Amino acid sequence: MFPQSSRLALITMILSLVSLVSFNAMAHGVDESTRLFLQNNTGVQFFPFMYIGAKHMVTGYDHLLFLAGVIFFLYKSKDIFLYVSMFTLGHSLTLLFGVLGDVQVNAYIIDAIIGLSVVYKGFDNLGGFQRTFGFSPNAKIAVLIFGLFHGFGLATKLQEFQLPQEGLWENLIAFNLGVELGQFAALTFILLLISFWRKHHSFAQFSTASNTLLMSAGFMLIGFQLTGYFTG
Amino acid sequence: MQHTLSNKALFKSTVIALVIAGVVLISFILPAEYNIDPTGIGKKLGLTALANPGGTATIGTVQSDELNTENQHETDIIEVIVPAGRGVEYKFAMAQFNKMEYQWHTDGAALFFDLHGEPEGDTTGYYESYALATLTEMKGSFTTPFAGVHGWYWKNTSDKPVVVKLTVGGEYSIVGLKK
Repeated sequence: MFPQSSRLALITMILSLVSLVSFNAMAHGVDESTRLFLQNNTGVQFFPFMYIGAKHMVTGYDHLLFLAGVIFFLYKSKDIFLYVSMFTLGHSLTLLFGVLGDVQVNAYIIDAIIGLSVVYKGFDNLGGFQRTFGFSPNAKIAVLIFGLFHGFGLATKLQEFQLPQEGLWENLIAFNLGVELGQFAALTFILLLISFWRKHHSFAQFSTASNTLLMSAGFMLIGFQLTGYFTG
Repeated sequence: MQHTLSNKALFKSTVIALVIAGVVLISFILPAEYNIDPTGIGKKLGLTALANPGGTATIGTVQSDELNTENQHETDIIEVIVPAGRGVEYKFAMAQFNKMEYQWHTDGAALFFDLHGEPEGDTTGYYESYALATLTEMKGSFTTPFAGVHGWYWKNTSDKPVVVKLTVGGEYSIVGLKK
């Protein structure tokens, strides 16, 4: 398949990417300087909000895990485009609706459901629904529904800052655009790595292990968030 | 495309996923995030130290001539612990045009700080900074431009907790650590 050296290079690249992500990752947390900015800005701040949205997506490992699960077995670019659009539609709707309608949802519960979405995707990739229930839930609808929850997660985080009403609409649109940009950037990376890996025979060998780990990560997110809910 | 595992393999995968998640949660994530550490592994690895995000503060009120307050009135000595990698705010409620004299020093490391005031009843998040620097100690005074809460934000970028000893005198009431 690959000569030894390029295989080594690939592994090194993946490892360094992983460490990069884990250093900056903060899932749904917003770091202190961003917090200060969000609380003190007034009026329309188009690019800063866009940047925060993009950064949130790129460093949000729960969104990334879900996306990685969704495109794991998607080969055609048409399919990828379709699924990602469903996800985008879902989270844009609830992000805008949630903030503008001032809908308050408990962040821990939302994040636990996002964890559940990761478990679902891992289990689905293993063919679990086919095996246990004899059918697989409509994957596009599932992605749309979980997209709605991911959007509520974003909305809940933004609302914690009691954003000024002035320029709220514009700032939200900017944030959402940033989210899509960040998602696009992250997706490109994930897709690149997965399609590279697919050519290698270890993809088939390890796809079961990968999706088991994906499920496991989802369970961790659920446990982490639910503990926060009950102790916080 | 999607390959279907046998019942047995699927069950095995699910159990493995749960076990890994459980072990990692109990030994690492819960200790580091919430200071819940049933196995004691978190404490051994020093992870539980991460789980105390808020600072702590103790207050002692003494007669002191450390500050030259006009009529030598009472001063408060407050010890604030700023945890590693965190920011802590300590505030006082003050009326307009009231004066505070202060002096603070850390137990070593320099801290970034922002001495600022937030007007009473404000909901927009507006604040005004009176001093902004990174220092190990500072002495001074300020007169409030408006009524509200006034005080310090200290940020500790080091990997060890830093103790700030703050002595204040003047017309104020202590609000304390911002939750």
